[in-house]
Amino acid sequence: VADLLLLALHGLAVKSAATPDAVAALVGQSPGDVQQALESAVADGHAIGAKGRFMVTPAGRAWLDDTYPRAFAAHRADPGFTSAADKFERINRDLLALLTDWQSMPAGGERVPNTHADPDYDRAIVDRLGDLHDRAAKVLDRLTSAEPRLEGYVTRLDAAYDKALAGEVDYLSGVRVDSYHVVWHELHEDLLRMLGRTREE
Amino acid sequence: MSTLTSERVVPLDGSVSPGKDRLGGKADGIVRMRRLGLRVPPAFTIPVTECRRYHDSGGRLDEETWRAVLDGLRWLERETGRRLGDPSAPLLVSVRSGAPVSMPGMMDTVLNLGITDEVERALATLSGDSDFARDTHTRFCAQFGKVVLDADIEDPEPGTDPESLRSQVAEESGREVPREPLDQLREAINAVFASWRSRRAIAYRKHWGISDEGGTAVTVQAMVFGNLGEASGTGVFFTRDPLTGSPQPYGEWLPGGQGEDVVSGTHAVQTLGDLAAQLPDVHAELLEAGRVLERENGDVQDIEFTVEKGQLYLLQTRSAKRSPAAAARTAVDFAEAGIVDRATALQRVTPEQVASVLQPRLAPAAAETAEVLARGEPACPGVAAGTVVGDSEAADAAAGEGRAVVLVRPTTSPEDIAGMIAARAVVTELGGSTSHAAVVTRALGRPCVVGVGRGVTADWTGREVTIDATKGIVYAGQLPTEAVRAEDDPALSRLLAWAREACPVQVVDEVPEGTVDLDAAGVGLDPATPPDPEQLGTLLTGAPCARGAMLATPAGARAVLEAGVPAMAAAPGQHPLVLLLHLLHARSEQRTASGGGGA
Repeated sequence: VADLLLLALHGLAVKSAATPDAVAALVGQSPGDVQQALESAVADGHAIGAKGRFMVTPAGRAWLDDTYPRAFAAHRADPGFTSAADKFERINRDLLALLTDWQSMPAGGERVPNTHADPDYDRAIVDRLGDLHDRAAKVLDRLTSAEPRLEGYVTRLDAAYDKALAGEVDYLSGVRVDSYHVVWHELHEDLLRMLGRTREE
Repeated sequence: MSTLTSERVVPLDGSVSPGKDRLGGKADGIVRMRRLGLRVPPAFTIPVTECRRYHDSGGRLDEETWRAVLDGLRWLERETGRRLGDPSAPLLVSVRSGAPVSMPGMMDTVLNLGITDEVERALATLSGDSDFARDTHTRFCAQFGKVVLDADIEDPEPGTDPESLRSQVAEESGREVPREPLDQLREAINAVFASWRSRRAIAYRKHWGISDEGGTAVTVQAMVFGNLGEASGTGVFFTRDPLTGSPQPYGEWLPGGQGEDVVSGTHAVQTLGDLAAQLPDVHAELLEAGRVLERENGDVQDIEFTVEKGQLYLLQTRSAKRSPAAAARTAVDFAEAGIVDRATALQRVTPEQVASVLQPRLAPAAAETAEVLARGEPACPGVAAGTVVGDSEAADAAAGEGRAVVLVRPTTSPEDIAGMIAARAVVTELGGSTSHAAVVTRALGRPCVVGVGRGVTADWTGREVTIDATKGIVYAGQLPTEAVRAEDDPALSRLLAWAREACPVQVVDEVPEGTVDLDAAGVGLDPATPPDPEQLGTLLTGAPCARGAMLATPAGARAVLEAGVPAMAAAPGQHPLVLLLHLLHARSEQRTASGGGGA
């Protein structure tokens, strides 16, 4: 039960204000169990709930920070896991550069918004995303074999990439859909928390 | 004047007819340039038919095709006076894919094929720059490893030994980077053909209903160098200023810069004016080429060029990326010069670009005297003011009360996104223009300044600030802004007049009786949940006029056209030109979809 408590609150911290269903999908647990765990976190003062959504409280954050080192000690001591996370950071930099090129284009020493009027430009970026998606798959294989619940991110990344390939432009960097960047950003946060690392940017 | 007898290789010397289906996009572009009398580095292409033959023979390059490639290579060597692998006069080539329709998943480009240890030494002597020769060799090994052998390796640091790259590649991929130039060429050609059936290319064709028949061409092109002698260099040339759109050519010139395979940071960038002073004939030829290509392609061109010993070569030309203001101005200028018609000019400018030009700006006088709190990197342009809040919850709460806030964070994590949506602008202490915060704010169109410095914002909470995210400056206090009037901008006022003339729907100033107000009906106010098209149709059908926030969206414009509404009135904050362009673009899409042709 302690593990479920941790996972539920951890998932909530990654997602911010979220429903039990969303947290359950993120951490790969049943919605009913997560609902229960979040209610008990509320009783402990680690979370607050309103209108079916929950949020982590400052006390909950402190509890997470105290609990992470023990809960994820095995990953933190596993060179295979940490080196895969290092590789993830490198791919992360490439992804952010790629999404920047998707949103804005160089023109005469400055960057201007991408109006998506040039299909060749957009296609080349979707191609780069495909290449990156393949590279990421190798790293994610290594991460999910140690932490199987991360498989949920892989499925969501696959779905976002498929949508991007099919021309749904929002699925690269959109904020209001489960875009490649939204999923990646959550996965990044998840890894940083498990490993006790600080975000560089 | 093709000197080659085989149909299996096509020299791109201007005698061949263009044709994307056979030659692929890349070679077709080269042929078109050659036929306009422009100089491009010599090249030949292995046509699309050979890709089919490659796959029909189970993924092997046919021996007769390879012999034709060797003939093509000999032709290239005669044209350039150099030879592949010959240290006394080394020829280096690039290999590129070129399908009739460009698509993801195809092997893209390998540069510098033909380099060996001996050729590296020769390049060092010829250029007087052993670092350049070393880097060319190292980066060839890295690129060949990544692109052809599919090794996931890091970009090498300058000065890395090619041997160390070779062993990295071997370790990652289990295959060797070939040392013999002809082996390099053959493997690269094979890889391009093989990539036609890559998982990603197949997936893309399936998504878009493109046949798996057909294939890609391979183009082999001589590389030219801007660093192998006097009167040499490389640069990029925009036929119009891409930021203002003025007819003043704009560009960068790097004397002694290598060319296609650009190494950053080693050469001081000069202007086209410097090129004119140093090599007046080259400059004149370049400008003339720009005029020819503008006319031919009907749009502003962005041309990459290299000068080798006083000889100008055009490497690539394409429609130039441009700022919103430049998009408006060049569209109007091209129509007035008779290069394109007005309908085309109106299609060239997006409603978002017009809205961006019309965004309020800081009053210059106010900005001059205001206190600058911090400077950072612009991540998403725009101007906004508000009270500083330090976290997402406070931003959400304040926005719920209708207060303008600016979210200030050290960095942003996923839980800050709700706050970024609620805030008028975002500032971060760390990170550059490619950070998570930058990506999210650009997706939202929220002005954002990143990287103002660790600890800089410590005591900002509760203060009033104004963000000029176009320049990357945070000012203390609420600074006055100035509206931009379309009537004051010659390009926008021209576009407005043309759009009114071309558009079947009028945009009126007076709101007539019976106008359907979608905002009042609560329709389409939340961009995340688009209204049901049928409900929208019922609301709009028979209406004499419509107005509402969602009419400034593609879906809104489509609904107005489909319901046959004769007029629209601008809602607060909407500009008539933005509405008109949405309508004209939607109408053009409808026509394209129904097969009636665009514009």
